[in-house]
Amino acid sequence: MSSTTHPGNIQASYIQLSNISQSFALNNTKVTLFEQLNLTIKQGQSYAIMGPSGAGKSSLLMLMSGLEQPSSGRGVYVKGDLKNKHESSLETLRPDIGFIFQQFHLLPELTALNNVALPLKLRGDKKAINKAKVMLEKVGLQDRINHNPNELSGGEQQRVAIARALVFEPRFIFADEPTGNLDEKSAREIANILLNCCKDSNAALIMVTHSQVLANKAEHVYHLSHNGLIKVKGNNCDVLPVELAC
Amino acid sequence: MLSMSTSLLENTKLAWQFYRQEYHLPQQKLLRWTQAILLIFMLALTQSSFSVQQYLTQNLQGLLGADAQISQRQPFTSQQFNDLSAQVEQLVATQQIKINFSHQDSWQYISLKAVADNYPLQGELLTATSLAGNTEQSLSGPKQGEIWFDSRLFASFNLKIGDTVEISKQEFTFTKLLKHEPDRLMEGHNVAMRAMINIGDMEKLNFSENLINYRYLLALDARQIPSLQEWQQQHLPAAQLVHKQGNHPLALFWQRTENFIGLASIILFFMAAIAIEQIALKHQNKEQYFSAVCMSLGASKSTGIVVSIVKWCFSLLLLLPVALLAAAACHWLMIHYLTDSFPNLQWQWHYALSLKTLVFISSIFALFYLPVWYSLLNSSVGKLFNQAKNTASNLGQKLVTVAVLVIVVLAYSDNALLTMMLVTAMMVTILLILLLSWLVLTLGEKLTKNLSGLLPFVFFMMKQRLVSKSTQILGVGLSAFLLLFTLMLMHDLGKTMSSYQRQHDGNLMVSKATNDQLSYLKNWASENNISIRQNKSYMHAKLIEINKQSLAEFNDKPSESLATFSREIRMHWNNQLPSNNRLLSGTWWQVDSENWQQISVEQEVLTDMGLSLSDELTFVIAGRRYDFTITASHEFKPGNGSITFWVQMPTAALAHIQANHYSMASLEVSEQQQPLLAELWQKFPTLRMVSLQQMTERFDNILAMITKVISGFSAIIILLAGIVILASINAVEANEQKKNSIIMSFGFNRATCLKLNIIEWLITAMIAAGGAIVGTYLAGVLIYQSQFSLPYQPDFIWLVSTLFIILACVISLGVYASRKSLNSSIRQLMAE
Repeated sequence: MSSTTHPGNIQASYIQLSNISQSFALNNTKVTLFEQLNLTIKQGQSYAIMGPSGAGKSSLLMLMSGLEQPSSGRGVYVKGDLKNKHESSLETLRPDIGFIFQQFHLLPELTALNNVALPLKLRGDKKAINKAKVMLEKVGLQDRINHNPNELSGGEQQRVAIARALVFEPRFIFADEPTGNLDEKSAREIANILLNCCKDSNAALIMVTHSQVLANKAEHVYHLSHNGLIKVKGNNCDVLPVELAC
Repeated sequence: MLSMSTSLLENTKLAWQFYRQEYHLPQQKLLRWTQAILLIFMLALTQSSFSVQQYLTQNLQGLLGADAQISQRQPFTSQQFNDLSAQVEQLVATQQIKINFSHQDSWQYISLKAVADNYPLQGELLTATSLAGNTEQSLSGPKQGEIWFDSRLFASFNLKIGDTVEISKQEFTFTKLLKHEPDRLMEGHNVAMRAMINIGDMEKLNFSENLINYRYLLALDARQIPSLQEWQQQHLPAAQLVHKQGNHPLALFWQRTENFIGLASIILFFMAAIAIEQIALKHQNKEQYFSAVCMSLGASKSTGIVVSIVKWCFSLLLLLPVALLAAAACHWLMIHYLTDSFPNLQWQWHYALSLKTLVFISSIFALFYLPVWYSLLNSSVGKLFNQAKNTASNLGQKLVTVAVLVIVVLAYSDNALLTMMLVTAMMVTILLILLLSWLVLTLGEKLTKNLSGLLPFVFFMMKQRLVSKSTQILGVGLSAFLLLFTLMLMHDLGKTMSSYQRQHDGNLMVSKATNDQLSYLKNWASENNISIRQNKSYMHAKLIEINKQSLAEFNDKPSESLATFSREIRMHWNNQLPSNNRLLSGTWWQVDSENWQQISVEQEVLTDMGLSLSDELTFVIAGRRYDFTITASHEFKPGNGSITFWVQMPTAALAHIQANHYSMASLEVSEQQQPLLAELWQKFPTLRMVSLQQMTERFDNILAMITKVISGFSAIIILLAGIVILASINAVEANEQKKNSIIMSFGFNRATCLKLNIIEWLITAMIAAGGAIVGTYLAGVLIYQSQFSLPYQPDFIWLVSTLFIILACVISLGVYASRKSLNSSIRQLMAE
């Protein structure tokens, strides 16, 4: 596996959240999930966000991916290197993102191969099937390409989901509890595959997880709670509760 | 026992709870709509039909004007008259003839009735002296030299009491206005204007005997009817005997109407079956899941099934009050509409019948829903872990449902040929749509493989979901086919028929002319430069036996053919196959054939009556029996005139049959030549002619009625088609929503999903349209020619534009109804 990232020299794109707050109204009462968060996600690196249920981890994921708008604060997507930066709103991030879910969410009527080929087909890629085959080989499913999801185990289904999320080479992968539905052994395997594949593709991996084992494999680990976002692993982990771009 | 009833009570409570919870779910709403439409339609239809049947029975009792009537083409011989007089208490002779009555410069085709001095036998003969005057009862008919006219004739000729009119050079004085004849029943269909004279005058008019219909009214004891029937069978086999204990002459007509509507309702059942099948798909998964959960909590397999059945019963039972009320209202409207044809028909609710109908329809609904309950038998806790669907068994269940429906259709309809044609057209459409779906999606996927854009993706996805997509396309296609065919029928019935008549047959049809009349007509035509388009000879023949069995014994199912054969038919003769006929089976006779006792029968009649080649038919012609063997079958071939005959025999037969010959002919008479017709009818009042104006007038009346019926029927079909589309969308809504969310997780936005959705509906609509248009064309080719003896000349511009409108509605409805599945988000995928 080769990597195109060069530590200390920012060539990759990144997402920057500044003073982000998220709240919603419930029965005429304002419920605040989090306030004044700052976070930078860089392409090619891995991030884990941990925390108790209801702390707003999934909401943070939605904000980072530009699919939802924050109540206040600003999120930007920066493409290019330091010399030639192009800054835009997070809504422009959409073509560059991929998702992995706890429930895999494969289309049941499609084979593993067709599930993986799906995003490429949508983009009109004429080599979709071949690229999907290569991707399935990478996740170790070369022998199961013509199987339907219901003929695969949970671990195998998640491998297909990983292949599907990475096959169109997005810059950012958002994973919601990617190992939450798997046994320990499968979870370990999936974690390795996920991290390696993202590294290999130079994609950022942002995981929301309750699994300490999985979180430990990430380069940056954050803990989200009502006290804010606390970095517990990675550079400058003493900076609390704010994390700035390194 | 106690525990069983307790468990049933608990299950019922549970079912009630679930029923209430699911009440507002879209699939439950669709199910309720489908069931309600069919319930209302069938209840109103059966109630109205039964009311008419009851009316006919009562009508028979009150309007026969006698205990029994015998009618035939010839007068009784004195021997027959004496025989019959000896058997019955009283006998009254009447005669009836259709003539063209002309007075001053006007003319009118009328029914002239001559009655004996002892008329009426039973019931009231009502007359008046002015239109607004009091109606009084007359104890006898007109005296010799007198004539009575009915109100319409009176009004149309501007007559006054005391006026003198002339028929066949005989003068009559108009003395009374005829208001009601007690023996009109046998002329129930006849809408011609009427006049009545004394029977003594009929002889003076000197009409040919064979143009007169002789009817004898009999007063007798009901116990004498069997012996009378026996006497009639023996001495007057071709005569028609009607008695108070028998069937109303309109009963057969009404039964056929009912059967045709029955066929229409079968189409609705097919639509409902498609809709329920789509809805059941969603129910099945839900019920299976519930059943598996119950089992995982220690309940038996039967719990899930019982709860599902009780829940289904609740949904049907609670629908009944609304359906019954709506059906009662529709029944009232139908009765109101039918009073034009059946005067004094009253609205009445028949409770036992409604119960029977409800049981029947509920059984059909249960049959449609059976796959859901069957799937619960195969439900297991394992299903909770594995959501795999058994599509093969689903397909099997669908085929069984279709097979049962086809059997019901065939058992229900009397016109086997028409039913078979419609079912064939439907089956071909189904197969075609399936084939087209597979072909278009496979080829589409292959051919667009190397293209970029959304189209290849849509083809790819649709091909991958071939089974579920085919079901959706099938539903839409069949709905479009049934709708298009119904609309086309409505549109073309008038247009094709009238234009064809004008084009090939001239504007005047002579339906019955004697040889004298025909030769005069030919001279008259050539003198006045009028062209005779067609001219074909025939004689009257009454079919009495098939393979030595009476008609009633041979075939007791009512049909168009049987109804016609219960009267005299026109038998044509020739040596060569007519140019407007096509030989379908057997061989046509040679010119020099010595075997004159062979006939060719029209194919539809063969099928309708269940006849085959080499069957022996016995006809009574001019009072004598003749046996014929069927050696060929033919059908109408358009393009060479529309005068065709059901039964044809070799010309050689003429040497053996002594009977009067008549002719049918068609003429082209210009508007300027119209006044010449009055002269013709003065000369020959009995010459039966129908002008184009009369034909179109009659036709317009029929068309107006058909239009009303078909419009109502189309409205129901449109409603059901809408439900089918909504059901087919609802069935896959969850999958679609998930698909859209997944697509968005690949970095696409909602606009892309909408575009994909529109393209998918366009492809669905195009395949469905292909099937619908071919199905409609096929149904047109099969049914138009066979049932209306007319060439099918589809107006493709109209057809395609109507189809385009239907499909635009389908796509709009499809996209609109799919908006919920577009309203998906990645967050939903995370939340699962």
